[in-house]
Order: sequence, then C-alpha cells, then structure tokens
Amino acid sequence: MLDRIARDRVATLLVVTIAVFLLVGAVAPGFLSARTATSVWSSGLVLMLVALGIFPVILTRNIDVSGGSILGLSAVTLGLMLNAGHPLWFSLGGALGAGMLAGAANGALVAGLGVPSIVATLGTLGLFRGVMLIATNGEWIEELPEALKALGAKSIGGLSVMGIVTALVICLVWLFLRSRRGRWVMVVGDNREAARHLGLPVKRVVFLSFVWGGAMYALAGITFAAQIGFVPNQAGSGIELRAIAALVLGGVSLLGGVGTVAGTVIGVIFFTAIDTSLVFLKIPAYWNDLIGGAMLLIVLLIDGRLRIALEARDRAARYRRSSHKTDAAEDQGGAA
Amino acid sequence: MKRLLMRWEVVLLLILVAELALFGAINPRFLRPSSLLFGTSDFVQVGIVAVPLTLVIIAGGIDVSFGSTVGLAAITFGIANFFGLPLPLALAVGFGTGALAGCLNATIIRLTRLQPLVVTLGSLYMFAGAATVLSGVVGANGYEGIGGFPEAFTGLGYARILGLPMPLFVFLCFAALLLILLHLTRFGRLVFQIGQNESAARHSGMPVFRVQLITYVLTGLAAALAGVLLSAYFGSARVDLGSATLLPAITAAVLGGASIYGGQGSVLGTIIATFIIGYLQQGLQMSGVPSQVSSALSGALLVLVVALRHGTALLRDFVPVRPRRA
Repeated sequence: MLDRIARDRVATLLVVTIAVFLLVGAVAPGFLSARTATSVWSSGLVLMLVALGIFPVILTRNIDVSGGSILGLSAVTLGLMLNAGHPLWFSLGGALGAGMLAGAANGALVAGLGVPSIVATLGTLGLFRGVMLIATNGEWIEELPEALKALGAKSIGGLSVMGIVTALVICLVWLFLRSRRGRWVMVVGDNREAARHLGLPVKRVVFLSFVWGGAMYALAGITFAAQIGFVPNQAGSGIELRAIAALVLGGVSLLGGVGTVAGTVIGVIFFTAIDTSLVFLKIPAYWNDLIGGAMLLIVLLIDGRLRIALEARDRAARYRRSSHKTDAAEDQGGAA
Repeated sequence: MKRLLMRWEVVLLLILVAELALFGAINPRFLRPSSLLFGTSDFVQVGIVAVPLTLVIIAGGIDVSFGSTVGLAAITFGIANFFGLPLPLALAVGFGTGALAGCLNATIIRLTRLQPLVVTLGSLYMFAGAATVLSGVVGANGYEGIGGFPEAFTGLGYARILGLPMPLFVFLCFAALLLILLHLTRFGRLVFQIGQNESAARHSGMPVFRVQLITYVLTGLAAALAGVLLSAYFGSARVDLGSATLLPAITAAVLGGASIYGGQGSVLGTIIATFIIGYLQQGLQMSGVPSQVSSALSGALLVLVVALRHGTALLRDFVPVRPRRA
C-alpha cells in the first residue's frame, strides 16, 4: 500500500481528487453533474495550457517563470491586431508568433548564453510585461470581435473550440514524449552530461522546449481573451506560479527528467476543482489561496516523508541481502 | 590592487554612478540631496528583504514566500494593534509571525528534502491566503487595509535619524549587521561552505540544518520589518504590501552577485544593487518615462547584466585547454 502511494503519485492524486469531488458532492447536492465537469474543464483551460508549456521546460531541468507575461503579451498582440481590422486567422497567427518569439528569447538566453533559467526568465518576466504595457499604453483592450469570443464559448458537446484544442495538445504532448525525440527531453533533464556524451543536441532541445513553452502561453493568452472578451493589463500575472505548483502536485520533479502528462493534467484539474468546490460550498473566495497553499504543502510533506521512508526501507533490504550473501560465503569458506 | 578592482561590487558601483550621472544630466533636480535621500523611502523595503535573501541563496536555498510574509506580518501586527495591544507587544506579534514563517519554511524543506523553490512557492500561497483570511476576520476587506495606528507610530515612517530618513537608517543598520554576520563571523563561513557543498558540510559535522534555519528565519524577520515599516509609511497594514517586492528583491540579490546555485554572493553587492534598481525606477519616473516602460527596462537590465556576466565566462571557455600528456 505504502509502495503504491509513493511510487504512483498520479494514481494517489487521482484518488484524492475523486474523493474531493465525492465529498463536496455529498455536502452540496447538485455538484456531481456533467455541467460541473465541463465548467471545471473550461475554467482550468488557461492554467492547463500554461502548465503544458512549462512542463517540457521543467523536464529539461530548467524553469520558466515568464509564462504569465508571455500570456499577456500574446493576448495583447491578438487584441491589437483584431482591433486594427486584421482577419481572425492572421491575428491568431500573430499571437502565436509573438509567444514563440518571446519563448525563443528565453531559450537563447538559457541555451545560448548559459544564464541560469530562473534568473533569465525572472528578467524577461518584467521585460515582456513592460513591452506589453508599452504596446497598450497601459490601457485595457476591449470590444474584441464576436468571432474570437466564439472560440471560448461552448459549442460542440459542451466543450469550446479552445477546450478541444487543449485536449488535442494534451494528446500531442503525450505522443511526443513517447517518441524517440521526446525521450531526448527526459534524458537532457535527467543527466545533461550523459546526454551530451550520447551525442544529443542538448542546447537545441533546451532552446526548443522554451519555444514550445512560448507557443503554449500564446494559446493560453488566446483562450484567456476569448473567454473573458477583453484583455486587462495584469492578464496572466501570477499564473506561472500556480502552474508550477500544479505540476509539482502532479509529480513533476523540478530536478528534471521525471514527470508524466497524466500527472500534469490531474494536478491542474485538482487545483481547479478546489476553486470550483469552494464556490459550491459558498466559502468566500478569499479562502482559495489559503486552502490551495495548505493542500499543496500537505501533499508535498506527506509525499516527501513517504519517499524518504521508502528509500530507507529499500536500502535496509539491500543491505540485509548483501550481508546475508557474505555470511553464506563465509559459511562455505568455513566448510571447505 | 587588481584583485580589488576586478571585484563585481566595483562594477556595480560604477553602474550606479553612471546611472546617477545619466539621470542627473537628463533632469538636474534628480541629483538634489533631499530627493536622493527621501526617494529611498520608496524602495528600501526591497533591500531589507534582499539582504537576508542573499544569505539564503548563498546557503544553497531560495525563498519566494517573503512576498506574502511581508503582508502577513503587517496584518498580524495590525490586528494586534486593532485589539488594543500596546505597541511593543503588537510589534512582537508581527515579528513573531515573520520568524515563525521562516521557521515553517526551513522545517518543511528539511523534512521533505524537496527543492526550496517548490516549498516556498507553496507557502507563498498559504501566507497570502492566511493574510487575506485574517484581514477578513476583522472586517477589513480589499485594499483599505487595517488602519488606526497611533500617531506616534505612523509619524515614525517620516521621522529622521541622524539626518537620514528612518526607513533608510533602519535598512543601513540592518544591512551592516548582516554584512558583519556573513563576512566576518564563523556563521558566515558556514553559510558559504554549506552553499558550496551541502553534503561535504554535513559529512564534516557542520550544523547544516541549524544554519539554513537561521537564514530562513532572518528572511522572515526582515519581511516582518519591511511589513511594519511599510505600514508606518502608508498608515495602514495591507495584504498586498509585499507583492511588489518579490521580483525586485530577487533581482537585487542576483544582480548583487549571489549565485543561484549557492556558495557565492555578497551583502555589499546586494546593497548596491538595491540602490541601482531603486534609483533606476525613480530616475525613469522623474525623466518623464511612464512606469510601464521603467518596469520593462529594469527587467531588461537584469537580463543584460546577468547575460554579460555569463557571456564573459563563456568567452573564457573558448580558450582551449588541452590536457597535458606525459
């Protein structure tokens, strides 16, 4: 039992998430419905996309905290292009391009110049937010066209277009990480030197993971703008920390090389589910951070202690086995 | 002499002088002693948390939770004052909260052996949440905060000691204290040694946990100090007092020469970096640059300076080192 919990973080989290859903459902009737499920999915979309963007970056043993600013930057690019009269597909392309360009800037700093990723992205966090504010003159972008809002509205089977796109992205990441090149990302994060000696293009992998991150934040920015219909100044600020917290909860190690797509998805759903449940339980919204933060710390604490206990047990078992062997060898020696 | 001139702190000092000269040329009013002195009240809180944060980073850790500890300590201080506790006791409550927050961080990091960034990220949320809930308890919602401090206290925010504004004076004293602690004491050497190689330090019997605990508690205490100072300055304790110090403080520590991998850094560098960042914001504002541009520029400054440092290190690697063969 202890083994399963510690070894299979995703399964544990899934059980805990289902337990939370059932518990809230028992207290607040009407919570357990398809409508709640779709509303959790759609309100978690932005966080999900940002988490999917940071995920490969963390797998390569780097970190990216500029996600919120890139989200804002690409949402503003989208809004400005739309309001200037460009067609929707062109503006969407522009937003994606802005995100990837920003991601490439991060990647160049980290992979090219060797700046520690936390420092580089902390700097670009301020830089991109500033660029965004310069572009908008500090004003909100309003009156976005209906065509964009339609992307965020429920259409097919209770899901929005962006909801379906996100589901596709999840499948894509899952398939990619199973592929040959996808393993490279894991290898680079697990042991950079070994990856280099194996002849893997370490720097290119790191660079591309940041570009991927930029593209995902741009998608998140598009979703954000489509869902709320305008772009405020502080769009996306602070979301990168929430995303990292969700990833960690889902068993992604900040030391690189360890993590699954399933864990990422469940981590995000868990966080969103807590927010949604609080609304259902009529607990004031200002409890969100306290409960979310306390949950995260408790999960980390239990998980950390379990892992340490398990390691100690494994070591003891190994020691017993090896000492047993030497005992046997001595016995044989004595007999001869 | 050359060793002295090649130090990072000297480079930082040159940057600071160049910056002041540049802004002075754009707007001579900027260089008036009174505006230079009293302008510091707007940014010394960044330095107050950045200096102990430097110690945490040198010892191989990182703490991002101080961003909400500032608000949490200010709120508990405000609540204690709200319920009629005398000022010294209320201050003790505020500082106690800060110390407890640091203690909690260090203990959880030790117990789980997780990366400090993850743990303090969790407590960043929890402390902000706790502060919001607590301020809701006394019915102070949103951005008004908890006011009603005695005149004697709010007057402190604008008081002068030895001709210096009170916040600056407190910052300089606190920084000097930590400068001595880090660079001239046994404890300071332990901090560096643990940051260089934690396992080696542990195996040679150094009190690793105790030293790390002290660095986190110091950061918590400094956050409380910043919270109290800001409450005096603004006349009310608010939840979001510290959120604007989070990034500038980390920037100041890193710009000041602290290596994010531990084992390197200096308090003096962080102090100078604080002034560089603070005066950059103010100089830009006085030169008529809108505040959004100045936030972009300070982000760019961090990227540029750090890229420069790593770029030069990279260039050095280009000099081929051939293994000697016997």
